[in-house]
Amino acid sequence: MDGRAIRVEKLTRRFGGFVAVNEVSFDVAQGEIFGFLGANGAGKSTTMRILCGLLPASSGSVHVAGVDVVHDPAAVRRSIGYMSQKFSLYLDLTVDENLKFFGGAYGLFGRDLRGRRERVEAQLGLAALGSRLVASLPGGIRQRVALACAILHSPSIVFLDEPTSGVDPESRRAFWRLIRKLADAGTTIFVTTHYLDEAEYCERLGLMSAGRLAALGTPIELREAFVPGRMLEIHGVGIDALRRSAAGLPLLSVEPFGAALHVRVDRDGPGADDLRRALAAAGVPAQVAETGVTLEDVFLTVERATIAGGGG
Amino acid sequence: MLRSLFNVMTKEAIQTLRDRRMTFILMIAPLLQLSLFGYAVNFDVDHLPTVVCDQDATPKSQELLQGFFANAIFTRAADVLDPAAAQRALESGAAEVAVIVPHGFTREAGREAGPEVQVIVDGTDTTRAQVAQADAREFLVEHGLSAATAAIGPPLVLEPRILYNPRLSSPVYMVPGILGMLLMQATAFLTAMGLAREKEAGTLEQVLVTPIRPSVLLAGKTLPFVFVGLFDIVGVILLGSLLFAVPVRGSLALLGLGGFLYVFSTLGFGILLGTLASSQQQAILAAFAFILPASLLSGFLSPIASMPAWLRPLTFLNPMRHFLEIVRGTLLKGEGFADLYRQFVALLVIGVAVLLLSIARFRKHLA
Repeated sequence: MDGRAIRVEKLTRRFGGFVAVNEVSFDVAQGEIFGFLGANGAGKSTTMRILCGLLPASSGSVHVAGVDVVHDPAAVRRSIGYMSQKFSLYLDLTVDENLKFFGGAYGLFGRDLRGRRERVEAQLGLAALGSRLVASLPGGIRQRVALACAILHSPSIVFLDEPTSGVDPESRRAFWRLIRKLADAGTTIFVTTHYLDEAEYCERLGLMSAGRLAALGTPIELREAFVPGRMLEIHGVGIDALRRSAAGLPLLSVEPFGAALHVRVDRDGPGADDLRRALAAAGVPAQVAETGVTLEDVFLTVERATIAGGGG
Repeated sequence: MLRSLFNVMTKEAIQTLRDRRMTFILMIAPLLQLSLFGYAVNFDVDHLPTVVCDQDATPKSQELLQGFFANAIFTRAADVLDPAAAQRALESGAAEVAVIVPHGFTREAGREAGPEVQVIVDGTDTTRAQVAQADAREFLVEHGLSAATAAIGPPLVLEPRILYNPRLSSPVYMVPGILGMLLMQATAFLTAMGLAREKEAGTLEQVLVTPIRPSVLLAGKTLPFVFVGLFDIVGVILLGSLLFAVPVRGSLALLGLGGFLYVFSTLGFGILLGTLASSQQQAILAAFAFILPASLLSGFLSPIASMPAWLRPLTFLNPMRHFLEIVRGTLLKGEGFADLYRQFVALLVIGVAVLLLSIARFRKHLA
């Protein structure tokens, strides 16, 4: 399998006249954590559903775990685990009953199933909760039960569709520690998310925009490719006042960022001190500091480029 | 394969038994509904309030009226002197039947023209009116003829004998229909609901990414309801014979086989409805839209023979029709397989066709 867990070439999916996924190509290496980003409706979930064999492709080729998914979608199921954003569990069954049922669905029974169940429950901190009804458990724990159901059969690839939506920050952090461990043990992780801070946990990212794969690379590569130069963060001044008072300085872009502004400048462009002096001279005292480029900056730049390029 | 099937069945059984309301709908509700239907849906007509206007007022007219009220069909509610008062009693709803014995009834009895006793029936409720009319006519003909026939010679006496349900008891006629309807409710309805619920919760998709085969999944989801159906058949027949003296003249095993085949087709319809509906509400509506016409076109309430000719062929596609004929045949007539094989073949054909269609539809639905 040449070390590539997923190989996608020119994948296209149409719904009537609407092209949800447009000639998307990428590879994911074995044991990699691959993040799939994009706004709602950008084609993330559609792509993931095709990769899992839940939805046929219109054209292109898809290989997952060595299986040609386009021609034999059923064959891929044994090698993958899938966790949907709804944590699709039977709420009226206990944790153990859910695990037994999904284990059985993967052809695991008897002593083998019990061994795996106990191991996974211990691994995910569910050992004491086996006899609890899923309906009585909070979202963070349901999320771990859903993950347990998806990895019981030791899949080589795990697909996670927005696995942390609706879960508190503490649980999100704990969840990512588990994902990290899985990947360290050799499992390939394919995860969609729209939390950009979470994207930082991924080794490589694909960024979907309007059905196209608009960017692909490590978080560092994406920053350098799409947001070159340095980033200054400014507090205490509005966007119009900034443009007026710093009119003489070469600013590449100005974006609102929370309560602050993010100003992108060239590598040898003005520094934080230059900008602060210019603002003070114009009678606008503000705090200016050098900051790192975030993935949100990348995301905004890519989205903007897509819209400007008419790639809607 | 078998373990896989058993796995799905176990899950389905746990879910059903854990849901108290579901257990109730499946196990208890059919028996409650049977009792309710048996008592409430009653075509037996008796104790009709009757107003009497005896203008003749002779021992002979009084004897006639006593005879008229001897069986419990008519109840003497009031006596009036004026025929107009009898009319008013009908109009006000105080009485449903009026009997008017004219002046000179005794005097003219035995003459060729015969005395004209008038019986007026409130026709608002056609079923009751028909029964009342027929009973009154039967009684009067009997009395009118007994006087006249003596002269004419041996009387031609029409003596109806009613087979299979000699007392014309409604429950005996109704119970087979109720059984057919309840089984359809318990199976089609719940299968459709169950499928729609899994779709709503996303668990269906979660199961579909596993290597389990769709046919095994469907079989595992529906087989537990086959057992529930057989349980309901036993319960309904037991209750029917205890409460309403419904006879069991034929083979219960044959009836069980019929129920088995019948439930297969209703489960198939349930799956079909479940694939069409995208939410539980839609499934409920679709199930109602299906069960009601199926009941009406089964011969449950009104005989198929009295439906318009163009509608009758449609009833052959209705599994409930065939099942009803099997239930009535085995319970009331004591018919065997030789008498009912057509219905069995029909149920088998419908069941297999619907199941195959629903599996195909389910597969396509997933893609």
